[in-house]
Amino acid sequence: METKAAKPAAPAKVRAPKKRMTKEKRIRYFKDNSPYLLMILPAVIVVFLFNYLPIYGVLIAFQDFMPGDKILSDSTIWVGFENFERFFSDPQFWPLMKFVIGFPLPIIVSLMLNAMKGRKTAKVLQTIFNGPHFISLVVLVGMLTLFFGRYGLVNNIAAHFGGERYSYFLESSAFRPMYILSSNWQDFGWSAIIYIAALSNVDPQQHEAAILDGATRFQRVIHVDLPAIMPMVSVMLIMSIGGLMGVGYEKALLMQTDGNLAVSELISTYVYKRGLTGVPDQAYATAIGLFNSIINVVLLIIANTTSKKFSENSLW
Amino acid sequence: MSEVVLKGLKKVYDNKVTAVHDVNLEIKDKEFIVLVGPSGCGKSTTLRMVAGLEEISDGELYIDGKLVNDVPPKDRDIAMVFQNYALYPHKTVYDNLAFALKLRKEPKDVIDKKVREVAEILDITQYLKRKPKALSGGQRQRVAIGRAMVRDPKVFLMDEPLSNLDAKLRNQMRAEIIKLRSRINTTFMYVTHDQTEAMTLGDRIVIMKDGYVNQIGTPQEVFNKPVNLFVAGFIGMPVMNFFDHCQVLLENGKYYAQIRGVKFLLDDFQQKALAQNNVQPCEIVAGIRPQHVTVGEGELTAKIEVSEMMGSEYNIHARSGDDEVVMLIPTVDLTADVSMGKTINFTTRPSLIQLFDRESGNNLIWYDAESAAKDAPVCKRYDF
Repeated sequence: METKAAKPAAPAKVRAPKKRMTKEKRIRYFKDNSPYLLMILPAVIVVFLFNYLPIYGVLIAFQDFMPGDKILSDSTIWVGFENFERFFSDPQFWPLMKFVIGFPLPIIVSLMLNAMKGRKTAKVLQTIFNGPHFISLVVLVGMLTLFFGRYGLVNNIAAHFGGERYSYFLESSAFRPMYILSSNWQDFGWSAIIYIAALSNVDPQQHEAAILDGATRFQRVIHVDLPAIMPMVSVMLIMSIGGLMGVGYEKALLMQTDGNLAVSELISTYVYKRGLTGVPDQAYATAIGLFNSIINVVLLIIANTTSKKFSENSLW
Repeated sequence: MSEVVLKGLKKVYDNKVTAVHDVNLEIKDKEFIVLVGPSGCGKSTTLRMVAGLEEISDGELYIDGKLVNDVPPKDRDIAMVFQNYALYPHKTVYDNLAFALKLRKEPKDVIDKKVREVAEILDITQYLKRKPKALSGGQRQRVAIGRAMVRDPKVFLMDEPLSNLDAKLRNQMRAEIIKLRSRINTTFMYVTHDQTEAMTLGDRIVIMKDGYVNQIGTPQEVFNKPVNLFVAGFIGMPVMNFFDHCQVLLENGKYYAQIRGVKFLLDDFQQKALAQNNVQPCEIVAGIRPQHVTVGEGELTAKIEVSEMMGSEYNIHARSGDDEVVMLIPTVDLTADVSMGKTINFTTRPSLIQLFDRESGNNLIWYDAESAAKDAPVCKRYDF
């Protein structure tokens, strides 16, 4: 994150040749760090077992695989990229390429909470905003039904004033707003925590200096708070973009009806259905999942490179 | 004209803690006043009340004759330099300097002219395009000062601006501030806990402790005429030597100070002042500055524990009975042997002995009850 001007005129760096650790040094290194290595060991084991070992399973994306088959055996039928080709020509391919974004809301909330005069009020509000995060998805979708179902609150009010009843769950056009807004409502407070933590590191003297300079409360948010959390915003944005294609299937499945299927079918729900329901086609589902992961990685790299170029902030 | 008048200024926090008690101070136009004292003495709080960053609980604050208790900071025509520089990290030096002027919606050419003028004065023109993180501590502090200067304020407030710098840079910046002061010629209020800064920079020094003003005076006054034990101990380096359980004697109409059994006939001025204050024979704490000690003569004795040769002078730590005595002895014409382990005789001029009441800690000669802060706690010791 250094600017060009920041670099003092230093003599050209000569990279010293990498020295290999001697055996004694390696033993001493492990002895010295043994408590820390022991502490990290369970995490390494868990990550290896549950994140790295299953990668082996992606091989079935390149096979004509049926449940019960061994992944690697003499009878394995390798089909190359056939499963991928099927997916690209699947009528579901383009409808599945859609993004769900509710990114700026937590930033705005954190800035507002931070700028509030009454610390007690801010804390109470923060607690209230965090509450919905702890509601389970099933309950949340149940609440949506109570509000937006054919006989839900919204329709009851509309009917009271002479309007027609209208089931939002059967309309494709209502699915995305309901999905996105309810997700934002559920998580904006929780997601704001990281920004509130970043804002707590802002030197209060910067605010005081801005007050003396004549900055209003809003100008202080723009000129002091927002720049202070920009590195965090960049990191979170990069991570959000990297996870754009990884929207979970649970909520979409819960909200899915035949009426909104055209938009409620996400990659994850499609993978679930093809891989685990009806006549399972696990090879095909794995190919879609793998494709999804590759897209995520590509998006992550693009977002990281762009951020590095324009804001000097990046994940790596 | 930019006078600042503090009348009975008081700060009480929500938890009922009183940080500043009844501060009365008149700062003249173009005067450089330094608020000095140990941590928690209320000096920064006083400055922040003047800046408008702290609400005034009681009392009145006048800037340029106007009551400004309820005037927002930006309208007080003041500028402040902070301890941590408080530069905007994402803005360049140029933008940091220009920020206040931009908020005032000044024309671009005026902003540019002012910024470049100030940068020229502070010798930071070559850094205008850099961001604060690319500057050294000294350069950052210059930018912070520059940011205050561009506003051309009536009053310049500085809150420990040099305390984040290393010793060498601090000396350098201190000299820069003295030069700067002669250039911009405005009223300064400067807060520090470093008495050297206070002595070298201030036209007058305000010495504070526990939220009370202990003494206001020129550097010479606070050094030579400390009103109590705290001021005597706080001002001066090395710290003044204190001899407890000494006496003021009155014999045949003449006052004597008796230190460790040795009698010193006080000079005419002291005689007069003690008589005027109606001082009766009593137990006192006697104070002698290390610079005022003469060795090789007199009846007081001390055993040298440490003797440091500093070139032009010896820095001697000796023990006289229960008291540790520090002496700064010029090497010129020194005939006595001041090596470690030796026992030496020492004395001082009686006129240089400070006499403090053991009960109140007040100087029997210089303490003025009328100008002293009311209800200030008794300061029996100089420790802080």
